Amino acid sequence: MAIHILHGKSYILLIPKETKIHSVPFKIHADCDAKVSKYFESSIKVEEDKTMKASFRGYPLRGETIELPQGYVGIVLHERILPPSEKERKFHVIHNFKSLNYWNWDKAPTKNDKIVQAFEWIDVAEAVSSY
Amino acid sequence: MASNEDETTSKVTDLASLEQFLSGRDNSVNNLYISDIPNVCKEYPCLLGIDEAGRGPVLGPMVYGIAFCPQNEATVPDALGCADSKALNEEKRDQIFTKICETSNKIGWAVEVIAPNSICNSMLSRNKYSLNQVSMDAAIKLVKCAVSAGVNISHIYVDTVGPPEKYQAYLKTIFPAYGITVAKKADSTYPIVSAASICAKVTRDHALKVWQFQEELNLTHEQFGSGYPGDPVTKKFLADNCDSVFGYPQLVRFSWSTAEEALKEAYYVECDRADPEEAATPSSNTSITSFFKMTSKKSVVKTQHEFFTRRCLSRNVEF
Repeated sequence: MAIHILHGKSYILLIPKETKIHSVPFKIHADCDAKVSKYFESSIKVEEDKTMKASFRGYPLRGETIELPQGYVGIVLHERILPPSEKERKFHVIHNFKSLNYWNWDKAPTKNDKIVQAFEWIDVAEAVSSY
Repeated sequence: MASNEDETTSKVTDLASLEQFLSGRDNSVNNLYISDIPNVCKEYPCLLGIDEAGRGPVLGPMVYGIAFCPQNEATVPDALGCADSKALNEEKRDQIFTKICETSNKIGWAVEVIAPNSICNSMLSRNKYSLNQVSMDAAIKLVKCAVSAGVNISHIYVDTVGPPEKYQAYLKTIFPAYGITVAKKADSTYPIVSAASICAKVTRDHALKVWQFQEELNLTHEQFGSGYPGDPVTKKFLADNCDSVFGYPQLVRFSWSTAEEALKEAYYVECDRADPEEAATPSSNTSITSFFKMTSKKSVVKTQHEFFTRRCLSRNVEF
């Protein structure tokens, strides 16, 4: 399988825009635009300790903003044309980001959460590959 | 959120100031209001009634109300027209509420407006917090609030829909010093409960009237109706205002079966309930016949180090 990641203007990889990314603990069986600011961001409340509270379909969520590690940028990919086969797929970079809002169901994010731990790999990888 | 300063300055003395109080608050969180305490209520032993409004509807807040007056003025609520609130129409309830406010030298009241969002959040929390518990806690909170404001309580009357004995025993453990009567239809038996009921119901009705959608929907009370599942206006509102991803604005109680049913029109959503501990359940048993299968070659499965599996990291490209 070959995956091509295309970015027309390479500078977009260097200057992240103000893109808001939310990771919610739900699998939404949809692939479409969503009115995130109208229905979700309007419900966000920032607590004194900088953690956040919000609701999704009535479920209570607790969240935190996670900064991506130094030297890394997040990208959002979009596949414009459905691939004729699994072998050759083309994705376009449509957004990039430096931080993401990570949400848990009724539980404050901690460093035991997988996504937070996954970022540790970046430090470990750097240490490993420097030998 | 409103500061403490705002809370002391906005007094509710009539329907207009009640609406002002309600529209000035964040309607996604609970809000409590307590009237000035009449001096006689601090001096003489008082009767205190508790009732709720808006338990059943799929829309809007549930409101808990208390009303209190001295025992020696026990006829006051009756004289104001406080009777079975279910038998009164909206106009009549509004009139009686206004009279209660005007009789602030003899009767006091308080309400807790429990936000629909807070009801859903409770019911859909990890440790399910039932509506009954939410209700009891609201009642207890209001009584404590009255006590700390200086009300000299002697007897509490509570209206309940559930079994009264259990609830009465529970309240007795929390407030051993007061006489406690929990009864079905206390609303029509005890005028002080009826007064509490009117305060709760009027507050709920007006909360819906002044509801501002934080989702910036331009819909008025007439367009979403009473919230009772049988109301055709509410039915139409639920059908017309379902966002395919987010469902409904926070006016709606998602945890109600009416809303759940209507949400089937929207995209299906699975809640990721799995906890790391729960994920460690044993895999399915190996069938006994599998031991007799002929295998041509030994398959070697490369397993990743725990460091990666714990973090859900896997390698997708072979080098």
